[in-house]
Amino acid sequence: MKLLFINNDGGGFADYVHVSEGMKVEEFFREQMPGRKPEDYLIRVNRQPVPRDCVLQENDRVTLTPTKVEGA
Amino acid sequence: MNDKELIHVANLIQEAMRQLRKGRYLECMRQLGLFTSRFSDLAHASRKLGMALSHDWLVASEHTCKAINGHLTEIPYAVSKLQCLLDRRPKEVPSLCAIVDELRGLRDEFDDVAFNTEEGALCVVTDPISLEGVYLGRFRIALYLEKFAELYHKTAYYVMAIDPHPAAKDEAVTHPHVSNEMLCEGDGAAAIRAALEEGRLSDFFALARSILTTYNPDSPYVALSDWEGVSCYDCGYVMDEESSYYCSLCDNAICDQCSRVCVDCGEVVCGSCAGLCEICERSLCPSCAKTTCSSCESVCCDSCLTDGLCPECKQQQENEDEEHEDEQTIVLGGRLAGGGMQTQADHAPIQSDSMGEAAVSSGPIRG
Repeated sequence: MKLLFINNDGGGFADYVHVSEGMKVEEFFREQMPGRKPEDYLIRVNRQPVPRDCVLQENDRVTLTPTKVEGA
Repeated sequence: MNDKELIHVANLIQEAMRQLRKGRYLECMRQLGLFTSRFSDLAHASRKLGMALSHDWLVASEHTCKAINGHLTEIPYAVSKLQCLLDRRPKEVPSLCAIVDELRGLRDEFDDVAFNTEEGALCVVTDPISLEGVYLGRFRIALYLEKFAELYHKTAYYVMAIDPHPAAKDEAVTHPHVSNEMLCEGDGAAAIRAALEEGRLSDFFALARSILTTYNPDSPYVALSDWEGVSCYDCGYVMDEESSYYCSLCDNAICDQCSRVCVDCGEVVCGSCAGLCEICERSLCPSCAKTTCSSCESVCCDSCLTDGLCPECKQQQENEDEEHEDEQTIVLGGRLAGGGMQTQADHAPIQSDSMGEAAVSSGPIRG
């Protein structure tokens, strides 16, 4: 299924990604952000906070925003 | 914001985003204008060089060549800026519905969201922020819609401290990464720009908040370790680390008003440790304050001592010496006048044919 994934870590790109049906948010995070900790991000689905076992749906919008960003 | 206000604000934002889209092209035109003006400058310089050479003005020719070099140096930068703008993918203006959803998401994400009609700014207030034990207070992030169109060459938002706790050395620095209400975005710059271009307001404010709640010790405007400044040991004045002096004896921090410089050795001391020359009243370090007049034992600096004596004692000594000399002079003079002095002639025989005459020796008169 197709999801809109907005990764605000780094360049802040927004793009469509294809994932398997029934994928949960936690799995999606691990797949897209290997080696990163979920607690270091604001994870929103369709602009709403969701539990880690929330099942993603077709055309969902998933946003990851880091909670720690170093200024200069 | 209630739903009615949300729709009103969403309309304003949508219009601002249309202006932003146009603004990108306007900025391209501006950069292109700057770029082509370089060529005009080069053409002008070329004509000047030709004229200088036709008159054999070699010095003028050299000046012109330097100017040409300056123009050429700026061209790669101008090209780079222009290409950066042209490479950006055009962003669609979000629908009103999408913007309303975005504002609702923002309202859920932050407790304090408001639209300031007077300033035309969408504002979010953060929770109180403390970094490494230093309390900085709450911050208001204000996104000015009329500045949206100028996003490509000016900032469209400002970060204002609501209850400022600025750095001791600079009031304009209210946060290690905020100066004059401008956030230094650092690692978040690209993501913030992308969020604003696409109208992802919730993401923009969340990123700004993430920067405010993170301390980067490698490049703050003012480091947190210097935030509170240093308190002067003598007067209590709070100063920044760079403006402070340290007593060479007790090592306490002192301000420039309270610092004392030893007039003899140049050491910096605090008021408590400093001694004083009793003659000129200039400061002395404890070590140099042990120098005293050998007569009256007053504490003196080197320049106030002459032959180990303070000026008063020295004067007194000189007076005594003068008196002693005077006395000697008087004694000598008295003996000469009062007949107390004898000559050889006193015992010389009386010449029979020279009454009253006697031989007088040429040697010294002995008394």
